[in-house]
Amino acid sequence: MSATAALMQSHRPGGERLRVLSASGQLGFGIAGPAFERGLERRPHFIGCDMGSIDPGPFYLGSGQMAAPLAMVRRDLELVLRAARSLQVPLIIGSAGTAGAGPHLQATLDLLREIARECDGSLRLAVVHSDVPRSVLEQAVREGRLRSLEPVQTSLNLPVPGALELKACTHVVAQCGCDTFEAALRTGPDVLLAGRSCDTAIYAALPRLLGYDAGLALHMAKIIECTSLCCEPGGRDAMLAELGPEDFILESMNPSLRATPASVAAHALYEQADPWQVEEPDGTLDLRQARYEALDDRRTRVSGARFTPRSQPTLKVEGATRVGARAVLLAGLADPNLIARLPAALDEVLERVRALLPGAWRMVPHVYGQGAVRPLPARASQEVGLVLEFVAEEAEEARTAAAVFKQNLLHYGYPGRLSTGGNLAFAFTPCEIDAGQSYRFVLYHLLEGVDPADVFRIEVQDWSFQEALA
Amino acid sequence: MWTVALPRGEDMSTLPLSQVARVIRSKNAGPLCLTVDLFFPDRPSFERARDSQALRLESLAVLYGLQAGQVRRFDLESILAIKVSMPRRLCAGDPGDGDVYGAQQHGPLLELQV
Repeated sequence: MSATAALMQSHRPGGERLRVLSASGQLGFGIAGPAFERGLERRPHFIGCDMGSIDPGPFYLGSGQMAAPLAMVRRDLELVLRAARSLQVPLIIGSAGTAGAGPHLQATLDLLREIARECDGSLRLAVVHSDVPRSVLEQAVREGRLRSLEPVQTSLNLPVPGALELKACTHVVAQCGCDTFEAALRTGPDVLLAGRSCDTAIYAALPRLLGYDAGLALHMAKIIECTSLCCEPGGRDAMLAELGPEDFILESMNPSLRATPASVAAHALYEQADPWQVEEPDGTLDLRQARYEALDDRRTRVSGARFTPRSQPTLKVEGATRVGARAVLLAGLADPNLIARLPAALDEVLERVRALLPGAWRMVPHVYGQGAVRPLPARASQEVGLVLEFVAEEAEEARTAAAVFKQNLLHYGYPGRLSTGGNLAFAFTPCEIDAGQSYRFVLYHLLEGVDPADVFRIEVQDWSFQEALA
Repeated sequence: MWTVALPRGEDMSTLPLSQVARVIRSKNAGPLCLTVDLFFPDRPSFERARDSQALRLESLAVLYGLQAGQVRRFDLESILAIKVSMPRRLCAGDPGDGDVYGAQQHGPLLELQV
């Protein structure tokens, strides 16, 4: 019998509490061993991991590459897969391979297969594909069912992309929610691996399927999906939640981290525009009545969250397009005269270089010390750092523009110039560096009026490697 | 220390927010929205910030170069926190964006007098 089937048969809300172990909020950057093992000693009913996010920017979704280094992803996957198989409990992994698109899912699947083969185990896998079929997307655009996020006022308005822009998206994914996870869990897997997912689905779907209150399950999921970040001090160690019919209890598996009412309540604010309402694909989680009580100095009991289902599911879709190939030029600048006239100097040099190298390349300046990170009032400084981005269709063109720009800026003459030896300080040469491809988000919208079953494809794979060894 | 006479007729010295709050953090809430969280060590600190001119919607909008209607503020009395959410200037990771995670946009708040 599969791990999910066994749990479905043996566990009922109202009996023993459901022990949920959150192993990682970002699988592939190293799961700390000691806390994870302490979590296993508590005999969790299932183990969850989040592998992705939109946070690291459009590159990963656009390119299909993982943000985490492959060797560490493999190490973390092996840790959680071996643990789940030895305890015979379900392993649930969401947002496979950073952005959860086809290539990310496949790369994660390949690693899991390699590990399973080494462990000569057999297992049933449910795989959720989160790539949105283009026909579904195009129809939604035609019918006006793709719209901007709410609340509009606190969001930058990202226009609904036109047909051409949609076509240019290398990958388009939607975040699948609890209903899709529940459907996948009904196939009785040992491991559920999902493409782009709501973080909450990883931890809330199985409890909901078991009959736990949706509001409690989602609130628990929302807090533990970042593992011990909700503690004082915050950390990345495994986190345990014990869910009952009326409340859940939170405890970090690192004994030096304390889940206090204040630290847990504060976590509800994290990366959330509205601290009271969390929008899920199938409804709204309302935290207004949530209560946080200390059970002891390391554990907090949480209750009171309410879930209001929505009649029509709303999916969040994400897509990125390629902007071009990128080269960067890195240099320092320490002449106050030039620093004072820097924006104009860069414009003048740009004009000269354009005359030498016509074409569709562009230069994007980041002047560190003068507002590269956030707008600063103009003020004199002794030293600034230049990171100049050159973006062109082809890498060769971007590199050429960077090199020519560098030489022209190095010997750029300006009124009052004293430092005629050169305007730039290089930490190393070459100072113009290939920086891969540049992507940008064109889709971060809500998709309405679709049946999740038409968007997400669930596939069951039965793996058996025992014969290979025999 | 500078002191200012407040309209309510009471002399009260202001302090930089960095000395009043125990956490001042910024982060993306999705690639289109920036959210700022302020946590306070005690009720007087929370109330000082909550009631300050500097943290009114209009002042916050000026600070971040936005319209007042684009800024939302939530006062979370039970956990002594204030949340402020606003649109990002550019979508995270767009060419020209300087802070993909939005984690370093708290700077203008540090020296605010509250």
